[in-house]
Amino acid sequence: MSFRFRGRPSGAGRTQQGRLVVYCWDLDKTYLRTEFDTVGQLLRVPFQRPEDKVEVPGVVELIRALKPCAQRTGRTARIFFLSASPPQIGRAIRAKLALDEVPYDGIVFKNQLKYLVRGKFHNLREQVGFKLGELLRNRHAQPADAEEVLFGDDWESDAVTYSMYADTLARRIDLAALRRLLDRARVDPKVAEEVLTLAATVEPADGVRRIFVNLERRTPPLSFRRLGPRVVPTFNYFQTAAMLHADGYIDRAAVVRVARSLVERAGYTADHLVNSLADLCRRGHLARADEIVIRHRLVRDGLLRAVPKGGTVQRLRTRVKVGLRVLGWRWRRRGVLDASSIGAPVDYDAVLAELDGARRVRGAK
Amino acid sequence: MPTIAIDAMGGDFAPETIVRGVAQASVETEIQCVLVGDEAAIQSVLERVPYNPEHISIAHCRDAIGMEEDPREAIRTKRDASILVGARLVTEGRADALVSAGNTGACVLACSKSFRIIKGIRRTAIASVYPRQVGHPGQDPLALILDVGATVRCEATELVQFALMGNAYARRISKLEAPRIGLLNMGREGTKGGDVLAETHRRLQNHSQLNFVGNIEGNHVATGEADVIVCEGLIGNMVLKLVEGVAEVFANATSQAARHRLRWRVGLMLLGKALRQIRELTDYTRYGGAPILGFENMIIKCHGRSNADAIRNAVKVAAKAVRDDVPREIAEAVVGMR
Repeated sequence: MSFRFRGRPSGAGRTQQGRLVVYCWDLDKTYLRTEFDTVGQLLRVPFQRPEDKVEVPGVVELIRALKPCAQRTGRTARIFFLSASPPQIGRAIRAKLALDEVPYDGIVFKNQLKYLVRGKFHNLREQVGFKLGELLRNRHAQPADAEEVLFGDDWESDAVTYSMYADTLARRIDLAALRRLLDRARVDPKVAEEVLTLAATVEPADGVRRIFVNLERRTPPLSFRRLGPRVVPTFNYFQTAAMLHADGYIDRAAVVRVARSLVERAGYTADHLVNSLADLCRRGHLARADEIVIRHRLVRDGLLRAVPKGGTVQRLRTRVKVGLRVLGWRWRRRGVLDASSIGAPVDYDAVLAELDGARRVRGAK
Repeated sequence: MPTIAIDAMGGDFAPETIVRGVAQASVETEIQCVLVGDEAAIQSVLERVPYNPEHISIAHCRDAIGMEEDPREAIRTKRDASILVGARLVTEGRADALVSAGNTGACVLACSKSFRIIKGIRRTAIASVYPRQVGHPGQDPLALILDVGATVRCEATELVQFALMGNAYARRISKLEAPRIGLLNMGREGTKGGDVLAETHRRLQNHSQLNFVGNIEGNHVATGEADVIVCEGLIGNMVLKLVEGVAEVFANATSQAARHRLRWRVGLMLLGKALRQIRELTDYTRYGGAPILGFENMIIKCHGRSNADAIRNAVKVAAKAVRDDVPREIAEAVVGMR
């Protein structure tokens, strides 16, 4: 184990200051707990009132924290929503966001009616082309050095689409490869051409820092390993908040607010919080030092019952670790995945083939 | 919600099936599970299956006791074995019950080392459920037999205590008001079976707390005449294995018959639903595991070859036993006996 001095308070020291951070959120199953498992549920969605729509626990507190936390570190945050739902339900969605007092800078819907009228039924369910196109379009409107953090879920193809976007932006996927991949994903040729044009003209940048996947379907986390350490599958928004804190996007107080909302409104217990943190560590996403710091803060704020057990030496060691961590020391432990070090290139052909297979199995069921 | 410690390294297919079973339980229930064993090995399985991390924690330990190892020697030398660490978690109050599919001898020894035996109880017993004929609608299709392996030979006092423990377990878990207690013997008459069984029969007959229905012969074990059958560990283990063996032979015989003639195959297809019901009834994985009764803490011992479903059900049974406070019921019954 080695450590180095960063000279900046914990949680604020890992991202460069003075840059714009763009947070892009998927809506259904990521922000909203939209139920469309059955045809009946699907048909009910357009008629739901804003107050009937239910958000995923902790997401509101997390989004509300993004802009103030960015401001405190001298940065600017922009929040965008990207939804595959039709614009016809936009009014209800906007009203819901207003009801939740969630700040945002833009929201995009998928014009499903256009495809319906043209009889392009395949396009109704196809998300890779739509999301890739909208992300690139949004990128064109942002400064070239903007950082991006993307949020999706495990229902469709968010993780792979976001990864393809990140690699396209960083020119790890060239245009010829992108054309092949879009073809493989059976993206409508017209949409594909649009995506390729946007990709060709976008300023190259390795701008996507993290891709969070809300494991709403409890997809095994190993399925996302092949997309690299940038992709972090999380089971709840406390895990997401812990990772954002470790990456320096939000402060500890924001993590506590997310945890508190889960405890007070979603029936989470101290065990749930502790286990969630430990799970992130075991999967190699969160460093033990960050876990200790967050746990310590949760104990201080009365969300965890007791300080970690152990003898005098262990307690002393924990206190020293927390103290140094707060002062900006970072432990670098073997086994913690570093999002900035993208290792082997992602085999998107294999990922898309697997995705297609899984979709067929679901369809057969 | 109760917290259940699970020996992740014990069993023929550990940690794979154990972790898979716990992962299933974590998704289906609110039970808090502590997987005890090698963290890296557990995590590598966990990441491959759907699970809920909020309900799972891991207590790392280096050692594990193999199924073929000598229990006494292993318990003495492997201080950091998963079964010992799991038992310690329970005694330290960090878990409410223990589940293990590992070496039975090591399980019993580890619990004897860590858990206290209920005051007044002389020996612990492994109680197992088995399928039996249902006499009337709503009757529990499962009966309890104890001991099935914690002891070899017993005295009359110990067999009476087994009856009290089985009675308490059936009252709490099967929700029976007055479970019918039977003594496994070679004849109906109270004097049969030698001095120990005759003395046990006499004491059980005179016991005011128990609904004793007399001796049960081997051919009546599965007919549902008793809800709890009491016997020595040696006999109980043989009965249980015989029931399982017969069920397996039956299943193999039917599938072989289906292969031989088309007419038989059609016949079996017509009987398909009934056969499925029989298979489900005789499927040990549905019952999870067998509680070791007599300790102040609950332990559920699973089959060494348990699959993920069996482990999941064992975790559920352990949580139910904790919620229903089975050890306290037993302790109260023993106080009454004294």
